[in-house]
Amino acid sequence: MKTKFSILFSILLSSIVFVACTKDDVEPDPTAGLYKLGSGFALGAGAKVELYTATPTITTGYQSFKIAVYDSITNTRIDDAHIHLTPTMDMGMMKHSAPYENPASTLADHHLFNASVFFIMASMSGSWTLDISIHNHANGKSGKLTLPITVAEPTKKRMLSFTSAADNSTVYFVSLAEPVTPKVGINNLELVVYKKASMMSFPADSSLSISFTPEMPTMGHSSPNNINPVHGGLGHYKGKVNYTMTGLWRLHFDFKAGATLAKTDSLDIEF
Amino acid sequence: MKFLQKEVLLAALLLVSTTQLIAQEDSGKIVQLENVTLVGKSKSTAQQLAIFYKTNGAASLEDILSRLPEMAMMRRGSYGMEPNIRSMNGGQINVLIDGMKLHGACTDKMDPATIYIEPINLENLQLQTGTQGFTKGSAIGGTLDMKMAEPTFNNTQRWNGQVSGGYQSVSQGWYNGTVLQYSSQRWAFRGSASFRSNSDYTDGNRNEVAYSGYHKTNFSLSAKFRLNNQTELKADMLTDDGWDIGYAALPMDVGSAKARLAALSVNRTNTASKWYSWQAKVYANAVRHKMDDSQRKDVPMHMDMPGISKTAGMFVETKARLTDNQNLQLRLDAATTFLSASMTMYPPNEVPMYMLTWPDNRNNQAGLSASWQWKPDSNYSLRMVARMDAVQSQLGSDEAKDYIDITGGNTAPRFDLLKNLALAGTRYLHHGWQLNASAGYAERMPTASELYGFYLFNAFDGYDYMGNTRLQPEAAMNADASIGHNGRRAKWLFTAFYTRVLQQIVGRIDSSFTPMTIGAKGVKVYEQMPYSNRYGLEASLQWKLHEALALVSTLRYTVASGSDGKPLPFIAPLKNIGSLRYTANRLWAQVEYEASLAQNKVNNAFGEKPTPGFVLAHARLGYTLPFFKERIALQAGVENIFDAAYREHLDWGTVLRPGRNLYAQFKCSF
Repeated sequence: MKTKFSILFSILLSSIVFVACTKDDVEPDPTAGLYKLGSGFALGAGAKVELYTATPTITTGYQSFKIAVYDSITNTRIDDAHIHLTPTMDMGMMKHSAPYENPASTLADHHLFNASVFFIMASMSGSWTLDISIHNHANGKSGKLTLPITVAEPTKKRMLSFTSAADNSTVYFVSLAEPVTPKVGINNLELVVYKKASMMSFPADSSLSISFTPEMPTMGHSSPNNINPVHGGLGHYKGKVNYTMTGLWRLHFDFKAGATLAKTDSLDIEF
Repeated sequence: MKFLQKEVLLAALLLVSTTQLIAQEDSGKIVQLENVTLVGKSKSTAQQLAIFYKTNGAASLEDILSRLPEMAMMRRGSYGMEPNIRSMNGGQINVLIDGMKLHGACTDKMDPATIYIEPINLENLQLQTGTQGFTKGSAIGGTLDMKMAEPTFNNTQRWNGQVSGGYQSVSQGWYNGTVLQYSSQRWAFRGSASFRSNSDYTDGNRNEVAYSGYHKTNFSLSAKFRLNNQTELKADMLTDDGWDIGYAALPMDVGSAKARLAALSVNRTNTASKWYSWQAKVYANAVRHKMDDSQRKDVPMHMDMPGISKTAGMFVETKARLTDNQNLQLRLDAATTFLSASMTMYPPNEVPMYMLTWPDNRNNQAGLSASWQWKPDSNYSLRMVARMDAVQSQLGSDEAKDYIDITGGNTAPRFDLLKNLALAGTRYLHHGWQLNASAGYAERMPTASELYGFYLFNAFDGYDYMGNTRLQPEAAMNADASIGHNGRRAKWLFTAFYTRVLQQIVGRIDSSFTPMTIGAKGVKVYEQMPYSNRYGLEASLQWKLHEALALVSTLRYTVASGSDGKPLPFIAPLKNIGSLRYTANRLWAQVEYEASLAQNKVNNAFGEKPTPGFVLAHARLGYTLPFFKERIALQAGVENIFDAAYREHLDWGTVLRPGRNLYAQFKCSF
């Protein structure tokens, strides 16, 4: 009985492997549907870097990126690398950085490295650059690429920044990360929250408690069964928002530090 | 000539005692009659009353229905009234067209199936209450089946037809109707066209009631082919187009309401056979309905609300003579209905707001009913009716499921078995006396609105209604008893009934929702009340006072309360209607009254207000011209002679009904 089972199991397993192999042959382009924001050589690392986004334009707020890395000579994909970002805003008189997330792993996910930057202002009064530092594990070399980034103001703002009313000192940056494409129904609601430690350092925050109410300002109504976002790690707060129809929605947030209200503000979403 | 024939028959039915007809029915041998379709179907009191009131050529189907004692019409506008049978409506009753299902496409019940049928399309009405109410579909409140007029074979006259028209002053309304028939040895055709146009009417206070006009056309075509002596094939087509239909009691009107209907059927009759009658039919229909507020002033935001309903179905009916005193009737039917409705609002400088109000949903149903009649001797008759339905309800798209997810509802398909059973007995006494008693149990499915409705605004109580996918089928226990007498000159029937509805579906305020509609008071979610009780009585009298003088009178009274002890909403008060008709050769004259008591037993939770009583008087006069082979008939009358300012209890809003109305009509048959 056991042998029969193991024979059967091995047949199954080999077929899975076989199927997996065949799938590999026809694997679709991992960057299909994405927009290439820029590319260049990370000098010294022997690598070419391409930066992709899900939207054609970059706007203020949380922005996720996909990074593709290639060997600069053979042009084969590099799926094992240590990548570090440094966003910089150069305003002439001064410079500052922004909150960001490096790829969580040195191994690519479907040949792409996931990262993000929370652009806390638009390019209007200065210019943004993004440094992408690569430690190429294939050859052990390191290098850096600097890409200019143009950040526009979105039609509906996606981010809030405020000084906490609880202590009158902590500066928070909050952005909507999800839903990127809202629909009528239950949507994942994801906020990212960072604190300002210095001009160059914005650590993730896990201390706020967030409650919210969606409203259609034109109609004055809300929606039922929403779930307040709670912290799930690395400054990401996850909940659910329900939209009962398309149109203009306003999310009214209460941010509390402990039991004290730090800020009340709202963000608009139109779809 | 069919019309003349029919009218002679109708007059006979009406003015002469109908004992003979009843006797024929009871013997179970109606099929042996030559004119089986006409006589066999013209037997119930409801049908005789319908025929009586159909004499007014311009009467709409709603006018006729509202005069049947079992029925009341819920009025939201001067057209598109919703039929109620013994104070049950909507999903509690079946409204069928020739046995076919047709689901309105309006989430606000502006288009019950009755608006798509004109009296000119109508052969008769089959109204089934209590124990007979579910043979054609699981329902707890009964069935209204509108039998459509059929082409008839006519050996003597190849072509015949009728043209009629009329005008009424209260709404500057015009009516035109035309019927054309052709018959050959094997083929018979019937085509009809009708047109109605009404402006806003004037109420009894001489005020014009805004948004009360309506316009519609209706075309129908039927063809019959005689395959052999026993078998006929029939094809029916009907189109009905309504536009600019005002709903004075609602915040919106109807821009257009279009129904398309087609059916193919086979009829086989063989009197010599045990299974002596067979009918099979396949059908399909579609309704497109568009609500419109573009004519309204002070609209906070322009809104479109289109809806669509598509139904396809079939049924097979057969009748058998099991023994000399036992009859069996079987019906197998199946239908599938798809519904979808949405709302789009156009706020200035913003993207449109779009929402499904009926998230796409489909109802698949198959059922079998059996009706067994046993007449052990001439004194007794017993009837047992059973029906079982299998119903599957499902959401039609992922988008629809997203909507139901928001409410925490169940998005998986649901399956229900509906069970119905009833027993009825009749005791025939001497000299035309008759006693009936019946009892039954029936179940019905929650409607699409009750299951899946998404912020459906109810203008009556001012709440948005949300569906509830967890509703159980609503059930009812029915009992009724009647005593009747068929005398030489008078025929009367007195019926008392009791209905206990179990798991009654009602809207309850749920404060966890905020209303969607601007100005709505809150949100109600459909829930189930343990039970509700309805008691009532109905009486009808058809009395031939003199050779030329006939009195027809009906009376109804219903009391209803929920398990919370409060009155149920929308219960019509005691109402009595009477008509006295004098017929002399080519002339007939008729005086009528309608009297309604006040309804003070109201349900405040539904925003119901007491309705004062009223008395109305009408007078009608008809004359057939002595020339042109007596083919031209003229009619004129005054309705609401004393210009009473009144409304009925089931009327929404506090909109008054029409005041004094003068009308004139002609009818020309050829």
